[in-house]
Parts: sequence; C-alpha cells; structure tokens
Amino acid sequence: MKKIIATLAFVVCFAGIALAQDELSFERKQAIDSLALEKVRDLSKYIKIVGSKETPFSEANRVIDRAEELFMSDAEIGVSSLSSNQITYYRVRKYFEHLMRLNYDRVEIEWYNIEYVSDLQRQPDGTYVGVITIFQTFRGYDREGNMVYKDTTKKDITVYVKRKETQIGGRTIGFWDVLLGDMRVKETTNR
Amino acid sequence: MMVLLAAFITIGGTTSCKSKKRLAKEAAEAEYKSRVDQAVKDLNAILDDETLWSLEEKEARVQTIKDWNLQNAEVDDLLYQVEKKLARERAQKDEEERRAAEEREKANAADVVLGRNFNSIANASSVSQANRVINETLGMFESPNTPVLIIIKQNAGFNDYDRPTTIEKYLNYVKDQKKATEKVHEIKYNSNGKINEIELIKK
Repeated sequence: MKKIIATLAFVVCFAGIALAQDELSFERKQAIDSLALEKVRDLSKYIKIVGSKETPFSEANRVIDRAEELFMSDAEIGVSSLSSNQITYYRVRKYFEHLMRLNYDRVEIEWYNIEYVSDLQRQPDGTYVGVITIFQTFRGYDREGNMVYKDTTKKDITVYVKRKETQIGGRTIGFWDVLLGDMRVKETTNR
Repeated sequence: MMVLLAAFITIGGTTSCKSKKRLAKEAAEAEYKSRVDQAVKDLNAILDDETLWSLEEKEARVQTIKDWNLQNAEVDDLLYQVEKKLARERAQKDEEERRAAEEREKANAADVVLGRNFNSIANASSVSQANRVINETLGMFESPNTPVLIIIKQNAGFNDYDRPTTIEKYLNYVKDQKKATEKVHEIKYNSNGKINEIELIKK
C-alpha cells in the first residue's frame, strides 16, 4: 500500500512539474510574443537596407547573412506583382538577391500593421507557433524620380519559438530561439 | 560581662570582615580564571578558524580580551599569534575590497562608454561613421566573437534570453536597426582587462 501511495505521489509531483514547465506565465508569454514581433520588424529593416540602391554591396551581403539567420533553413518568401496572378516563392537568400537586382533606380519598401493574426500556441513538441501578418507597400522609381510602380501586399509569416540551451563561459544558458518560417502572399493591391 | 560582650563583638567583626575579603578575592580569582579560560578558548577558535565570526567580530573579540589585561603568558602568546593572523586577513580583505571597488568602477565606466557608443551607432549619420564607432567599441572586447546575452525578461530571479549573439553582430544589428534598445546589465573581463562576456537587458 505504501509503495502504491509513494508511486502515486511521485507521478502527481512529476506531472505537476511537467505542467508547470509547459505553462508560461502571462509576463513571460508576453515577452516571447514581443520578441517574435521584434524579429519581424528587424526583417522589415533588412529588406529596406538590401532594397536600397544606396547600400554598398558588401553591407548588403552582410545584411543578407543576418536576415538569413532569422529564418528556418527551408523557409520561402513569396513575391507577387500586379502584372501577374502568379506568386513566386524564393528561398531567403534568393529573395534578397532578387531584391538587390530589381530594375528600378530607387525603391521604397515600407512595412506596417505588423501584428499577430494567430497567437503563439504551444505545440506538443514544445515549440510555440503563431502567424504574424504584415502589410508591405512597395514603390519603384525611374531615373527621373517618377514612381513607375506601386503595390501593397498583405503577407503572413509563420513564426516558431523554441526553448533551447547553449554553453557560454562554462554556463548553460536557456534561451528562446525565434525563427521565421514561410512568408506567404495573401493579397496584392494597387493601393 | 560588658568586657566579654565587647571582646565578642570585636572578634566577631574582624572575622566577618576577613571572610568578606576572602570571598571577594575568591570571586575575583574565579572571574580571572573564567576570563582566562574564555580568552584561551576564543583565541584558539579564531586561530583554528572554528568560529563563524566575521573579521570585524574577531577583531572586536581580540580587543575585548586585550582590554581585560589578563597578564597571562598563554593568553599573551595566543594574542600575538591571533593578531598576526587577523592582520593578514585584514590586509587580504582590504585588497579584495579595493579590487572589487576597482572592478565596479571599471564596469560603471564601461557601462557608460558602451551605452554612449550604442546610441552613437544607432544615430550615426552614415554607415562609415557607425563603422568607426563599431571598430572603436570592438577594441574594448576580447574578440569580435565575444558572446552577448540579451535578457528579454527577468522574472523572480530567472532570466529569459534571446538567442545569444556576438559583439560584432550585435553592434552591426544596432547600426542596421538604428535603435539601441538594450542597456548593459553585467560585464565580465579577462585577465587583460578586456570584456570577454556581456549581458544586456531590454530597456
């Protein structure tokens, strides 16, 4: 009988610990929500830098490296155009290389209304997955400074947040690794 | 009869006085012995590091024993040894406190310089100006790969971190994003006085 009680107590205690680890406090959850949003805002800045014709080639390449680190290794970014119904998906580096080679003398890229369309939800493997939506306005200018193209695209970005550990200075550091997944085009308009 | 009574009182009074003196002497001797025993016990405990007293408490105890002025050879010998030991401990503690104060001063100074540099990089008017401050800042670090930990949330003594990065990547991040949203939380130095680990925290 004592053995059964002891086993039950162990199971209850272990389950309690496991449950406590699963459930993040409101404040901690809010912190990782903000962290994921911040990574998306960081990406918008990287896109702006690489898209700018004034950015030196070496700087653009360094920024592409940083931007790549934000994404899962197999992530793809969708590109749309008003002139076609087709959406082309590029691997992250290819997308940035394509962005660098755009045939305009000057481009302006603005991201706005960056917000969660689906909150981060804990998956059975412990990863938190959510979807962030963004609106991107793209403007292309010719040599005379005339705007020759403009579109606004709504895009959904899947975000993955996972707890990981690493060794630094002999210490084990637990950290939240935010990785962006596919960036899917939802809608493109001429507004 | 009167003579006998006077003699009795005289003899009785003398005896009582002698007895009081004897008792007082015995009490003084007992107190002296007790103090010597206590002094020997305390001094040996200090010598053998068997007390939980702080250095200040040990120094105060030694002063009390010295104030007793016991004039006992064993106590004097122990006092000599203990005073030498406490002098060594005092010198070591003073040195540790001096070093800690130096480290604090250095960390505070580095804290101010880094905070200023982060802002300069974020608000630089050109890439080349930002790069100049980045190179200057990198000189404070052991290497461009010095780890940078960023605390995103502190909760009940527990830190939630962002993915660790390196100082070179972090400074470039500040340049690219044109924002310095972290401040220095903790700095660690190598033996050459260069920063070999830094923890930042979201403002």
